[in-house]
Amino acid sequence: MNWPPMLMHVKVKNRKSDFGIWLPLFLLWPLALVVLIILSPLIIIATLILLGLGQGRWVEWGFRCLWVAITSSWALRGLEVDVQGRNETVQVTVI
Amino acid sequence: MSENKRKIVEMLAQGKISADDAYRLLCAVDTGSGERSGGERTDTGNKGTGVKSKPKYLRVTVTPGEHADPAHAERVNVRVPMSLVRAGIKLTSLIPPEALDKANNALRDKGINFDVRSIKQEDIEELVEALGDMQVDVESARGENVKVFVE
Repeated sequence: MNWPPMLMHVKVKNRKSDFGIWLPLFLLWPLALVVLIILSPLIIIATLILLGLGQGRWVEWGFRCLWVAITSSWALRGLEVDVQGRNETVQVTVI
Repeated sequence: MSENKRKIVEMLAQGKISADDAYRLLCAVDTGSGERSGGERTDTGNKGTGVKSKPKYLRVTVTPGEHADPAHAERVNVRVPMSLVRAGIKLTSLIPPEALDKANNALRDKGINFDVRSIKQEDIEELVEALGDMQVDVESARGENVKVFVE
């Protein structure tokens, strides 16, 4: 099973500062689920209205967008970006 | 241990085949069982056998060359999961049909007769699988080495 990203580490280092932060992505997933559950009645109503108006392609497009957003964010685990310039270093790691 | 593996080991013990032959045969047996079980290629850790592992990451590195100016020596190391590459390719499904028509027309103007809409999910999978054989190695005029490969 593929696990969603749990933590994101962002580190920026330059002459003036050395800044690093761990972002707890695992806290966002339950939050996103709650938001989705709360919004689901509105989504269902909007879907029914659009289907009634014969605008089914927008419903399909919307759900496809949602699915791509979820799969893209799910696939972020393992991403590493490390750029070291002359005066600045930027590191982003998704775990 | 499967029956085939047992036979290979017995043949090795009896001196009918060499250790190298036994190893190759065992790899072949592993590959065959891997393909049957899930269609995935298995990693034996030996490139000489021609068996490849499934690509996991797309790697882009930029390193300064030996004679590069230290004042402009920049390093880039990017590791992108292949699952993210797949998800990125899927973004093409969000492109409106009108934009796809424009893309097709632009390609036709350049002499490329290709319908972007004909790309299917199976083609994408095949493309991502084929990336495992790709390696780009560029040395710039400023002495930087750019490498793009899959690991």
